[in-house]
Amino acid sequence: MKLRERLTARTLVLAGLVLILVLLPSLATAFFVNFVMTQTLILGLAAATIVFLSRYGGMTSLAQLLMFGIAGFMFGNAALDGGARGLNLGWHPWAAVGFAMLVTTLAAFVLGAIASRTTGIYFLMLTLVYGVIGYFVFAQIVEISGPGGITSIQRPDLLGPPVRLYYAGLLLSVLAYLGFRASRRTAFGLALQGVRDDPVRMASLGFNVALHRALAFTLAGFVAGLAGLLNVWWNGQIDPASISIGPTLILLIIAVIGGISSLEGAWLGAFVYVLVFTYLRDLPLVDGIGITEARFNTVIGVIVLAIMVLSPEGLTGIVQRLRGGARPVHPTEKELGGTRP
Amino acid sequence: MASVVQVSAVTVAFGGLRALRGIDLDIARGERLAVIGPNGAGKTTLFNVIAGDIAPTTGAVVIKGQDCTYRPSRHRPRLGLARTYQKARAFAGLTVRENIYLALAGHRGRHRALWRSSADRAMRDEAAEVAAQVWLSGQVDAVAGELAHGQRRQLELAMAVATRPDVMLLDEPASGLSRGERERLVELLESFDEQLTLLVIEHDMDVAFRIAQRVVVMADGEQVTAGTPEQVRADPHVHRIYLGTEAVA
Ligand SMILES: Nc1ncnc2c1ncn2[C@@H]1O[C@H](COP(=O)(O)OP(=O)(O)OP(=O)(O)O)[C@@H](O)[C@H]1O
Ligand SMILES: [Mg+2]
Repeated sequence: MKLRERLTARTLVLAGLVLILVLLPSLATAFFVNFVMTQTLILGLAAATIVFLSRYGGMTSLAQLLMFGIAGFMFGNAALDGGARGLNLGWHPWAAVGFAMLVTTLAAFVLGAIASRTTGIYFLMLTLVYGVIGYFVFAQIVEISGPGGITSIQRPDLLGPPVRLYYAGLLLSVLAYLGFRASRRTAFGLALQGVRDDPVRMASLGFNVALHRALAFTLAGFVAGLAGLLNVWWNGQIDPASISIGPTLILLIIAVIGGISSLEGAWLGAFVYVLVFTYLRDLPLVDGIGITEARFNTVIGVIVLAIMVLSPEGLTGIVQRLRGGARPVHPTEKELGGTRP
Repeated sequence: MASVVQVSAVTVAFGGLRALRGIDLDIARGERLAVIGPNGAGKTTLFNVIAGDIAPTTGAVVIKGQDCTYRPSRHRPRLGLARTYQKARAFAGLTVRENIYLALAGHRGRHRALWRSSADRAMRDEAAEVAAQVWLSGQVDAVAGELAHGQRRQLELAMAVATRPDVMLLDEPASGLSRGERERLVELLESFDEQLTLLVIEHDMDVAFRIAQRVVVMADGEQVTAGTPEQVRADPHVHRIYLGTEAVA
């Protein structure tokens, strides 16, 4: 019963938050909405796929930014025409969207199938390798990436005004959040949690463990691809450096800041990250103590360190602890406790 | 009678350790077989080979006429085979109902749905019925990780019973149960359909001898002897290697 009360309270808070976000364009400056919040939603959506795979599948993936990048590059190649960089296929924007998502999903399935026999640190390393290889593929095959990136990418007319892009980000974020959360109790989600906790047992119950992992990876890749589309529309361009190892780690760090086992945390972590990068320079004295833009990553690093020391479950863990004296029995904790004997 | 499970000349080596050294076993349909033996005899390893969790180093496993020696475990449920594990291995983060539901979903190959269908709801209801069969109706929506030890063993059993297998392998189903719970377990095992083939590893002689028609005694990866419960109980050999050391178990 207690659990149910807490869940509804949480749902209410989240619903209120979404309401504020819906009204935000008339409450906040255009800069805050179109720059800070749109970016937060895009990065949060991508980071949520890391949380989904980690929390329900026990797979910590470093390949999510690659999926994000593949979708962006494929859209750029398909949608632009004449004179622009890349393949210049000149397709209708929505055909380009379909093409980008198809390629991303197929890539996610193939990469997921290859990685599906590994777990833990090996899975992490393998997906890191994916990220590195993906970077080099785009950096070296300039026909599909530039040269020097694909620029002047236009978004579909439907998303023309910047605030529409914000709403698209909000809509996809809410859908992804609700979908990922609901999946926990579906056949697919239950099986995924089973695969996470005891793959041998799952196999003896008749499940194809490797296929299940590959499908989860595909789903996460699809969602990361959607975030990647929003990203190229927001940025108007994409270059190989944006999917190199640095940004790959940053996406993981965003998930860790929020709490790698908390879906909400993905967006919270993205918000903190974007805030730091946007406003740190405006704080008084930061120049005086030598924090220049080039050192912002150091600041992020210190923040991550502080959060990890205070709470391995990230900001969400801290919020939870502040709310109740004794630590509440959060579903997350129970799910993670699944591996405990 | 047709044999359901045939194990021929199976050996299993874990590095230098030879856990099984040539086991032959022919199990008839509807047979109730108990496997006993001291710790480390290779009983669980034998089950792992039959259930496909590990492939034998040499030898062959044939189930219902099909060569399953190298077939992975995930094909066993569709052959009608289910097993339990010595250490209860239910999913601690899921409820009793969800655990049993997974057993049903795995058996029926319906587990990729991203939404809840009516077939899905039916399986959830069915899971609750199965829970009732093993006296867990009061705990249907309890989280498995919070069950008492005996209840976890019951859930382990429920996950095997759920799919109505015709070959069932139970690895020490009575371990850790109270006297009353053991009594109920024996009653449950005796209530199964005659056609069900039952293989039970059991340290509790009382339980083993009551449910078994045939008892196989193993030690050091080999079959020491086999026979009816009476024959085995009277075998001086068994006394020396096993019953004498029962205090260890
Ligand atoms: N996966 C494994 N890797 C290495 N050695 C193993 C493995 N599984 C079992 N063994 C070893 O094989 C031998 C037989 O083990 P097994 O679990 O089959 O015995 P058992 O008869 O079930 O014993 P118990 O009554 O204690 O359950 C033991 O010496 C054990 O340590
Ligand atoms: Mg054993």
